[in-house]
Amino acid sequence: MSIMEYNGGSVIAMVGKDCVAIASDLRLGSQALGISSNFQRIFPVTDRVYVGLPGLATDVTTLRERFRYRVNMYTIKEEREIEPETFAHLVSSTLYQHRFGPYFIEPVMAGLSKTPSGGFKPFIAATDLIGCLNFAKDFVVAGTASAKLFGVAEGLWEPDLEAEDLFETISQTLLNAVDRDAYSGWGAIVHVITKDKIITRTLKGRMD
Amino acid sequence: MARRYDSRTTIFSPEGRLYQIEYAMEAISHAGTVLGVLAKDGVVLAAEKRVTGKLLDLSSAKEGGGYGGSGEKMFLLNSNVIGGVAGITSDANSLVNYARTVAQQHLLQYNDDIPVELLAQRLCDMKQGYTQFGGLRPFGVSLLYAGYDPHYHFQLYHSDPSGNYSGWKATCIGANNGTAQSLLKQEYKDDLGVEEAIGLVLRVMSKTMDSTTLGSEKLEFAVLTYDEAAKAPKAKIYKPAEIDALLRAEGLAKKDEDTEMK
Repeated sequence: MSIMEYNGGSVIAMVGKDCVAIASDLRLGSQALGISSNFQRIFPVTDRVYVGLPGLATDVTTLRERFRYRVNMYTIKEEREIEPETFAHLVSSTLYQHRFGPYFIEPVMAGLSKTPSGGFKPFIAATDLIGCLNFAKDFVVAGTASAKLFGVAEGLWEPDLEAEDLFETISQTLLNAVDRDAYSGWGAIVHVITKDKIITRTLKGRMD
Repeated sequence: MARRYDSRTTIFSPEGRLYQIEYAMEAISHAGTVLGVLAKDGVVLAAEKRVTGKLLDLSSAKEGGGYGGSGEKMFLLNSNVIGGVAGITSDANSLVNYARTVAQQHLLQYNDDIPVELLAQRLCDMKQGYTQFGGLRPFGVSLLYAGYDPHYHFQLYHSDPSGNYSGWKATCIGANNGTAQSLLKQEYKDDLGVEEAIGLVLRVMSKTMDSTTLGSEKLEFAVLTYDEAAKAPKAKIYKPAEIDALLRAEGLAKKDEDTEMK
């Protein structure tokens, strides 16, 4: 069995109209055995950027701390918060530095980037475990339920969804996809990032 | 061959002194003043800027300063420590960078902010190294560390080029530090609140600085307090406009008639 599936878990991010959403299930397992139904793998990077780290749980913690270190150093030296594009390249280069002994994580990033005119533009991206970036216009998926997430998202997602509609879409996509995956599920958490607030909601899911 | 040893600075003189260290300290006593006062609910730092002039581009200082302090003498070393530097600016920048790295490495390893004394110690270990081992000269920098940690709460430390450090209730480095220190000795009271400490710092600063009136073009200012809501220390490095507002509130701002740089 692959080490990528050892603890289970999935993350999805979607673009809406002037907003983005990122969501994950809350299961931590040891192969088929469920350990926790409140395992957080999505973390805030700044007020406007979130990162989800599906994969091996020990690497979730390690990478979270590494990224906190790098982002803190960036913020204090640069005297501004990191933009999502910049953070995506930081994630990519960090993972590629471990090209031949990788972290078993496939990160998903979602955020709003500043435009020159002072507005905000939705941004999502994902990488594989060695940092190959995938900038998508619609949605990105990763984790043990990624194949199922892809299918449901292709069916449900549509362009220019408002924040509340995007919340509904990403929630339904995640909950229905993880029901078809034995290693993901046990509840979910959803973050919708808009220009003036972040909506965070915890969802109940099937407990089998 | 004898010339090979000329540039070695880390040797005792026949009288048992380390001249280069003393020269470094002398250089600092000509640098812009930095003053710190410890209060029971915060720490206050103020500094005199020396590099001024109407052609100096201060646009970055006006907007920034929120995260790292974009001034000349006041820097955020970590979320719980503000540093005030006096001495050779380029040396100071290098030390500030080192301090920030050390603090973040501590956070990475222990998942806790670095204790203030440990940060001072780590910088002093490096400074001391240059009084004993190779390298042509020591760091020409003294620092004041205004910090908070859960073990000893608010603290104020001073470190000098030899690598000595010590904790203080109120102290001053740079030009006129003798005058400032005797003023502080007279006026300091135990159980000082942070608002009173701000007043004390500004009063002493206005007496020790060369210029007759205080203004944001000559002054840097920072306060470290504890944010009860966030349960975390709150470091605030003042922006130029905020300094002017503070000086007006304290009645120390310059009058409109004697503005010369407009």
